[in-house]
Amino acid sequence: MNVETFRYDNRIVRAFAIATIVFAIVGMSAGLLAAIQLFYPAANLNLEYTTFGRLRPLHTNAVIFAFVGNGMFMGIYYSLQRLCKARMFSDTLSWINFWGWNAVIVAAAVTLPLGLTTSKEYAELEWPIDIAIAVVWVVFTVNLLGTIAKRREKHMYVAIWFYIATALTVAVLHIVNSLAVPAGAFKSYSIYAGVQDALVQWWYGHNAVAFFLTTPYLGLMYYFLPKAADRPVFSYRLSIIHFWALIFLYIWAGPHHLLYTALPDWAQSLGMVFSLMLIAPSWGGMLNGLLTLRGAWDKVRQDPMLKFMVVAVTAYGMATLEGPTLAIKSVNSLSHYTDWTIAHVHTGALGWNGFLTFSMLYWLFPKMYRTRLYSVKLANYHFWIGLLGIMFYVVPMYFSGVTQGLMWKQFTADGFLQYPNFLETVIRLLPMHRLRAVGGGLFIVGVFIMAWNLYKTAKHGNFLADEEVQAAVAEPKHVPADKKWGHRWLEAKPITFSVLTVLAILVGGLIEIVPFYLIKENVPTLSSVKPYTPLEVLGRDLYIREGCVGCHSQMIRPFRSETERYGEYSKAGEFVYDHPFLWGSKRTGPDLHREGGKYPHAWHYHHMEKPESTSPGSIMPPYPWLLTRKLDTSSLQARIKALRRVGVPYPEGFETTAKQDLEAQAQQIVLGLKTGMIDAPPDREIIALIAYLQRLGTDIKAQALAETPATP
Amino acid sequence: MLSALQPASLAGIPANPPGIPQGISGQADPAPAPHLPCHHCGEPCSQGQFKLDSHSFCCLGCQTVFSLLRDSGLGNFYSIATRPGTRVDAAARPDRWAFLDDPSVTARLLDFNDERISRVTFHLPAIHCVACVWLLENLYRLHPGVGRTQVNFARREVAITFSPQKAPLSQIASLLARIGYEPSLTLAELDHKTERPRSRLGLQIAVAGFAFGNIMLFSLPLYLGLDSVTGPTFRGLFGWLSLALALPVVAFSAGDYWRSAWASVRQRTLTLDVPIAAGLAALYGQSAWEILSGHGEGYLDSLAGLVFFLLCGRIFQRKTHERLAFDRDYKGFFPLAVVRQTPTGEETVSISRLQVGDRLRVRHGELIPADARLLSDDALIDYSFVTGESEPVTRHSGDHLYAGGRHVGGAVELETLKPVSQSYLTSLWNDEAFRKGRNDSFDTLTNRYSRRFTRLVLAVAVAAILGWALAGNASRGLKAFTSVLIVACPCALALAAPFTLGTAQRLLARRGVCLRNGHVVEAIAKVDAIALDKTGTLTAASTTEIRFHGTDLTPKETAAIAALCGQSTHPYSRRIAQLAPASESLLVSGFSETAGAGLSAQVGGRSILVGSAAWLRRHDVPIPDSHPASASVLIAFDGRFRGAFTLDNTLRPEVDTLLHNLGQRFELALISGDNERERNRFAVLFGDHARLHFNQSPQDKLGFIRRLQSKGHTVMMVGDGLNDAGALRQGDVGVAVVEGVGKFSPASDVILDSQMVPRLGSIVDFSRRATWIVRVGFSISAAYNVVGISIAAAGILSPLICAILMPVSSATVVLFAVGATTLAARRFGLTSAAGPDLESETRNTKR
Amino acid sequence: MEVLVLLIAASLALAGTVLAVFFWATRTGQFDDTTTPAMRILTDDPPAPSTLSPTLPQKTQDP
Repeated sequence: MNVETFRYDNRIVRAFAIATIVFAIVGMSAGLLAAIQLFYPAANLNLEYTTFGRLRPLHTNAVIFAFVGNGMFMGIYYSLQRLCKARMFSDTLSWINFWGWNAVIVAAAVTLPLGLTTSKEYAELEWPIDIAIAVVWVVFTVNLLGTIAKRREKHMYVAIWFYIATALTVAVLHIVNSLAVPAGAFKSYSIYAGVQDALVQWWYGHNAVAFFLTTPYLGLMYYFLPKAADRPVFSYRLSIIHFWALIFLYIWAGPHHLLYTALPDWAQSLGMVFSLMLIAPSWGGMLNGLLTLRGAWDKVRQDPMLKFMVVAVTAYGMATLEGPTLAIKSVNSLSHYTDWTIAHVHTGALGWNGFLTFSMLYWLFPKMYRTRLYSVKLANYHFWIGLLGIMFYVVPMYFSGVTQGLMWKQFTADGFLQYPNFLETVIRLLPMHRLRAVGGGLFIVGVFIMAWNLYKTAKHGNFLADEEVQAAVAEPKHVPADKKWGHRWLEAKPITFSVLTVLAILVGGLIEIVPFYLIKENVPTLSSVKPYTPLEVLGRDLYIREGCVGCHSQMIRPFRSETERYGEYSKAGEFVYDHPFLWGSKRTGPDLHREGGKYPHAWHYHHMEKPESTSPGSIMPPYPWLLTRKLDTSSLQARIKALRRVGVPYPEGFETTAKQDLEAQAQQIVLGLKTGMIDAPPDREIIALIAYLQRLGTDIKAQALAETPATP
Repeated sequence: MLSALQPASLAGIPANPPGIPQGISGQADPAPAPHLPCHHCGEPCSQGQFKLDSHSFCCLGCQTVFSLLRDSGLGNFYSIATRPGTRVDAAARPDRWAFLDDPSVTARLLDFNDERISRVTFHLPAIHCVACVWLLENLYRLHPGVGRTQVNFARREVAITFSPQKAPLSQIASLLARIGYEPSLTLAELDHKTERPRSRLGLQIAVAGFAFGNIMLFSLPLYLGLDSVTGPTFRGLFGWLSLALALPVVAFSAGDYWRSAWASVRQRTLTLDVPIAAGLAALYGQSAWEILSGHGEGYLDSLAGLVFFLLCGRIFQRKTHERLAFDRDYKGFFPLAVVRQTPTGEETVSISRLQVGDRLRVRHGELIPADARLLSDDALIDYSFVTGESEPVTRHSGDHLYAGGRHVGGAVELETLKPVSQSYLTSLWNDEAFRKGRNDSFDTLTNRYSRRFTRLVLAVAVAAILGWALAGNASRGLKAFTSVLIVACPCALALAAPFTLGTAQRLLARRGVCLRNGHVVEAIAKVDAIALDKTGTLTAASTTEIRFHGTDLTPKETAAIAALCGQSTHPYSRRIAQLAPASESLLVSGFSETAGAGLSAQVGGRSILVGSAAWLRRHDVPIPDSHPASASVLIAFDGRFRGAFTLDNTLRPEVDTLLHNLGQRFELALISGDNERERNRFAVLFGDHARLHFNQSPQDKLGFIRRLQSKGHTVMMVGDGLNDAGALRQGDVGVAVVEGVGKFSPASDVILDSQMVPRLGSIVDFSRRATWIVRVGFSISAAYNVVGISIAAAGILSPLICAILMPVSSATVVLFAVGATTLAARRFGLTSAAGPDLESETRNTKR
Repeated sequence: MEVLVLLIAASLALAGTVLAVFFWATRTGQFDDTTTPAMRILTDDPPAPSTLSPTLPQKTQDP
């Protein structure tokens, strides 16, 4: 019988491994810098490129897509070949995947500090990069499915299922969420507005976490954990159930990120229910992982890789228990907008993704370099330092989250807010923020130790680029007569499936987009809500560029504590012209939805120039460049056009007159500033920003409460 | 058992098949200190006997495997697991597997076959760890003719693709055998070959679950209340989506219910699926109407959930059934043994240990345990068990003898061609031909009950809907209607008996008490009188004291007598046969045996009679009055009386206590073919009111049982399988006691390992407890139904709740049945870890 | 809120696909054996015998 000899490709795995380590350092350092700025704003070195608003998206993108992303590819490219007993479908595609992906990341690292962002969380990158991502992802998917198609092992190990789910779902999510109309090379407006944009964004945001940070890593867990422990997974059947249950539930759980927002109640409750249902499969998976180690705890004691693995799986369990908890409305009303969310996210990111990636690295290097780990001792140091880091990070964040949440809601006996000044609640948290920075610092130290350890390991070993193995080839397919018609072609190959899937999704997409344009808006349009003026549009774009949304929400929830503090709660109808929505998910600073008219223009001018001058003790960085830099109006026409394309009712030809309109309004602002003893030229960016800020939430102030609220 | 094998294995003699026992002992207990463990199989081996690469091996076989693997680059085998191998019999007969190349056999074995490529699936009991999987899936390294191989660990199966030109099936088999994975080919496996895993049910559940989840999703907003603004848009949409999602559930997932309901309606027999189907129809109809007419949301979530849970209940049931079946086939081996010829002489082995190529010695009346080739010249085979044809047929040397035949006449030798098929023997045993007229009460009870039950349920349901309709609450009426139909669950009732009895049978089988089928338990429970045979039942033949009275016998004569008795399986014959080693030189011809009387044959040219006084007289042999009255087995050479053997039976241990406490509770009787001389001894044991009957011919025994029964007793007859065949069949429960070489008698309901004789009492107690458990199971499910149905009829229960309750009730009953029975067994000291427990091995492998 | 139509459709499309895949997997017997695959991954494939040629069992039978 003919037996085939073939080679596993270790080079690509090594490439991703190195990228993983590099970007771990980059991304986490960015995070550390951002963390420091949260108690010592001057840490932005007075550079606009390193202010928190621009640094935060850089951090999140770098750790999620660069660190975890590369780690994921590393693990998949290694395990997939072995599980399929086949080299990757195409080396070319493999390398396109590698270089493409990392090019995207570099692009992100350049554009985000430059303030080129859509401001949608975890989808900040602008449309050209989005397209690049889509392309690379398709390349990866083809390579993945291709390999599966030419596999020599009939059975598809459960890990492979997780990989497939990741590939297909992330594609759909990314495309649906990134639909936007360009207005220039690096500017676009989401085709969705306000509530809808929010919904889509969090449907994506949630599932990005689900299918980018969770499913692939579960697959990797199911491969590397048994390998490391040298025993089969506790229950293979359970792992299969785990997969299917997870897949069927995840899709629906999105809306829980928008509890108490202007999203319809029932949609919120739905999100809540399904999030709670998620506990079952998640814990099934966690227990399956931990029970695999039963009777092997002695191994765990010696093998740092297993230690990392155990903590990772435990962290997964904690995070998946906490997530649904946070999705419970009453809990969420306290936790939302606070550091609690940050703590939750980092349990997952540092514990689950971080530690699992580390353990994979520790396992892969010795294997690929055919040697033993340079120093188990160092690895153990890394483990303990990292663990300590997580503790120092997470615990203070919980504490600060709960503290701030309570302070916001605190009323005095005679019914006034206990802490009317938002700043009080911030300053109270600074010690916790310092501790958090320490935690982050420790974690990075650990990573450096690992980098050194792995480097020495590589030095001592000799790299096995192509691992030559042998396997008997599958016999020619023969379909038993009793097969029903449908399954011959289904059986053909998974590739058939991917094609079908894509088709299904395209059809689905059409079904979706068409009604989107046909059905007329039935969110109650408030007669008084008007499109933004050209100046405000540019002001809003500055708001987006500086990443203000990273610290300031624009969504006042219907609690007395919030209406007291900020004013009338937000109505769905107010956001119909918000492309994209800017509700935000964190309040390091106060909510700004009713900011309009609260303070004179001058106040904003001073506040931007030197926050402490208006609010002593504020940790907001100064934005001097806004005062000096000229407002770029060159793209104004394009932007107005684009906005009209996505449904903002600017009259035809408005873009031609927009410039005058803009200058006129600028003059108004300048006059206003004059009354505040400020003499500012009308063509500066600050003018536009002030215009926008002063517009915020003013639409319904005219006839507040007149119209029917979206949420009864 | 391992220790028992040591001498053989050290001598490098093919002691026993590489199989699970060794595999596990190799795993479980590493060898004792003085011996190095074999590098391959881990069994102890004397230093330096077989060495290679500084590893030592217990035998040539293991060493061969090692070098074979090493040379083909599979040396890893030994690093994957510690001593993963199983002991390998180097001196395997080369032509052992030849029969596999016989086209008919090949055809039966192959899963797939065209001229270039074939696929076969072998059952390899020796598979036991990760390394096994690895080695077998790299089998192509060991033979150029082998292609892809795939192991199914749970089933201990390997599917091998190979090219018939380069490697005929026999070569594949012997290759496997050579590396320690001897294929086990049983008739059963050959027959139901293509049992495809029934994925259908799984899919139906998947669809139902999927639809359930999504319909839930769409119903939730409706429950939670849509807000005034978005409501209208979505109520319709969600309704339609739910309707669409529910369609496959009704059409595909619930398919089986429609089918069987329809079938039963056509045959005018109401099965349980009728009410369920009616319920489903009602639910879907109602919901569809509500949605299409825009009246409401319908109960589609309930519908989908209901189907989902119903199917879950099903799968649970089936899994448990399979589990029982599995235990029966692989754990409940008959306590039967056969005599195997080995180079060193004869040994008695359990038929479960028998393997292809063994040479067997089959005596008069013994069963042929497996298909075999006749080695002796002629044999008379009675196939009445198999064919029902009672006229024995003559077979000649080299003929193929089928398992299940019974040999009549002098002992013959044969060589097994196929391994023993447990399930085949079981089927023989269960053959209608040997069923007694008695009806299996629980079965019929269950049937009658469920038929009435169904009618009742339908009636209640209709009453409910009408009642509510009249009360002006039609929608609630419908809810009640479906709820009643769904909640009603006689399955629980149908399960109580099979699961309890099945478990009982399984547990007993593990202790060497083999019941013909579950219902024998009921029969045993009813027993109130026990009739016991003496010899071989209460007394152990092997340990009997033997003395000869009369003119001394020459060694030659002794040998002749021994040879003659060697042909028979009567306990006495076997004892006497032990007097001289079996020698080939003496050929026995014209052998005949009359049960309960004696033997006669020509040995070495002299005609010999062995048996009772009556037997000799029948052959006109004058018996001098001088001979001692106590004499039991008389001997005559050439028509002249020579003397008699007296055999003093020694009681089995614990028999006295057994008889004592049985005496308290049962009508006890002893019926023996022997003469009176031991009456007093047994009178003491049996107590005064017991009846002792001696000099009983088989007919007498049968008659005695009849008399007891006519007095209204339910009688258990305990005797050896052969001489009491009639009585065994006549008794309400026939218990055949086997010791060493068993005589498989389809007449018996129970085959009892002689070790277990003292436990007769607790076996009866256990059976009684088991039947009690069945009744409790009945009442549990009855109670459940009464309560459930009445609540449902009140229209309080939602169909969904019912759908959950129903499988729960079945589950409770099943768990109760199995659990309580196991507990009872423990209580009566009938549980033990005897028999290979495959489950635990699977765990062992997860090292 | 008609964007919900979009999300539901997208999700249903995905879920539907998943179900289809599940069907295919079951039909092609992916889930028939739920023990061996877990054990299979623990062992690495044997190195290609570029050095040693697969020896016929017959040859190595009696060393």
